[in-house]
Amino acid sequence: MRRILGWLLLALGLAWAQGDKLKACFIYVGPIGDAGWTYAHDVGRKKAEAALPWLETRYVESVPEAQALPVIDRFVKEGCQVIFATSFGYMEAVLEGAKKYPNVIFAHATGIKRAPNVATYMADFYQVYYLNGLAAGALSRTGKVGYVAAFPIPEVKRHINAFTLGVRAVNPKAQVLVRWINAWYDPAKAREATEALLAQGADVFTFTEDTPTVIQTAAKKGAYSFGHYTPMLKFAPDHVVSGQIVHWDVIYIDFLKKVKEGVYTPKNLEKVDYFWLLQHKAVEMGADYGVPINPKHVPLLKKAQMTVGGKKVGVYDRIMALLKDMQSPKPTFDPFTGPIQDRKGVLRIPAGKKATLEELLTMEWAAPGVVGDWPGEPR
Amino acid sequence: MEEALLRAVLFGTPLLLAGLGALLSERGGVVNLGVEGMMALSALVAFAVGLQVHPALGVLAGMGVGSLLGLFLGVFAVSLRANQFVAGLALAALGLGASGLLGKRYEGTPLPNPLPEGMLAMLALILALGLHLLLSRTRFGLYLRSVGENPKAADLFGVSVDGVRYLALALGGGMIGLAGAYLSLAYRPSWTDGMTAGLGWVAIALVILAAWQPLRAIFGAYLFGLLFFLQFRLQGSVPIPSEAFAAMPYLLVILVLALSGRARAPKALGQPFDRGR
Repeated sequence: MRRILGWLLLALGLAWAQGDKLKACFIYVGPIGDAGWTYAHDVGRKKAEAALPWLETRYVESVPEAQALPVIDRFVKEGCQVIFATSFGYMEAVLEGAKKYPNVIFAHATGIKRAPNVATYMADFYQVYYLNGLAAGALSRTGKVGYVAAFPIPEVKRHINAFTLGVRAVNPKAQVLVRWINAWYDPAKAREATEALLAQGADVFTFTEDTPTVIQTAAKKGAYSFGHYTPMLKFAPDHVVSGQIVHWDVIYIDFLKKVKEGVYTPKNLEKVDYFWLLQHKAVEMGADYGVPINPKHVPLLKKAQMTVGGKKVGVYDRIMALLKDMQSPKPTFDPFTGPIQDRKGVLRIPAGKKATLEELLTMEWAAPGVVGDWPGEPR
Repeated sequence: MEEALLRAVLFGTPLLLAGLGALLSERGGVVNLGVEGMMALSALVAFAVGLQVHPALGVLAGMGVGSLLGLFLGVFAVSLRANQFVAGLALAALGLGASGLLGKRYEGTPLPNPLPEGMLAMLALILALGLHLLLSRTRFGLYLRSVGENPKAADLFGVSVDGVRYLALALGGGMIGLAGAYLSLAYRPSWTDGMTAGLGWVAIALVILAAWQPLRAIFGAYLFGLLFFLQFRLQGSVPIPSEAFAAMPYLLVILVLALSGRARAPKALGQPFDRGR
């Protein structure tokens, strides 16, 4: 009798929980306060919740890849209708979970595999990295720019390449020294990698990992740096030039609205792939929100010159012009416009062609000017 | 080269401090597996006090928290005679969890006036020498060693085994707390969840690596610091994959552990002392 009553209560509870609210649940790979990747997703979640009155959200943070499936199980039991998995490493768990729960909608950030109920999404920074590369090329006196990178995966390689193309567009002889720390979150490794690059003469820094460590370490030696993922100006107000800032809320709100309206169902997501850029307002160039370039460094960048199509132009003007173009609905410029050879001399993007989405997502080659170990480099 | 040595010292320092703290209590017969959690919690408290009051006070607060946690471990490992390994592991988990829970509002806040790393590195070196002298030249050192080797005999000679062990845990906890404070007030300088990133565990290995000798711990810690730095300094300039480099410091620890099989641990290490038996 008690058991039956229990089940009844549970069923009632479930029915009540369903209501007309949409329940979206997030699996985070790191702690939400890391000022990096996971923090940015959580800001997006909160903004979506504030913007959509019918939305209810839940999240679990610091989920190791092997634990993703149990978390999915738990979310489904708790009535989650949409599950956002926010790390590339969750791919297998998401695909398995999607098979197990065909009526739940999954969205996998940075993912490359889809299914009828699995969409993929990404707010990509490659354009912003290129623009910051232009600034870095202009600011480096040693011609050595440091890049502290998490893992040698296509996403990070694409960003290093875009950044390096930018650096080289200003200073064709500059080098981008890459150090892999093989971790998204490891402050000690980020710190020592930065120290190693400083010791090798790098005087401008950028990075792809989840802490402001590179900025703090570089600033101690007076080196310029670029923030990543969230506004990082406050960590070194005199040295942070610009950075990449994400707006995941733009994607989350769009996606959830379409789920709510019935545009997206657990049967039609096979082709839903968000690869949102500057023009979608999913990413921003800036040292802080609304500050594309730290005003302290504008004069230096205005003074610096580069050659574009045989003509001399100011680096600052070039950055601003390209930023405006890429923010417009129909951008004409793309950093990956051929001819582009890799650092071994192999032609990767033919003259006049732009890299396709497929080519961007599977990029393994290294741009000329990239110096350092490059796991998975094609021969 | 100079740079590498500097990094060896500056990154070896938190390891040395935490290692000395663990070493101190182990010489008294108490295994402390809680180092990671103790560091995490003291790093947080040190940062909170450092941010709101003054970094120097933050250091003291970190040491205080470390000492308290050491005594807390003592309640279980000494007074209640619980399994020291289990008690330590529980403390590690507790410290990590509690710091993550309590520290949320400090994440993403930079410390405006960090402490100089060099000063704390010097202090760590002095502490290592001091601990060496304490163990080898003082009456307390003698008591501590006898309690770690043969608590029964020490007890017969009128030494308070529990008292000495508590004191060792408190002093060692203070050093571990200093290691945490170094991370959040000087090395980073900011606080994030999980910022100890396994250093506490390496510190425990360091104690064995150093064969329970404070002076050897200095070299062990600096060697680890050096290799940790070199994995990035050499990356790309030698044809070895970066993953192999990343494993290097840990491989070395394992190698030395395997080779140092002859190093003798304190005889009563890990054994709760029960007068009645």
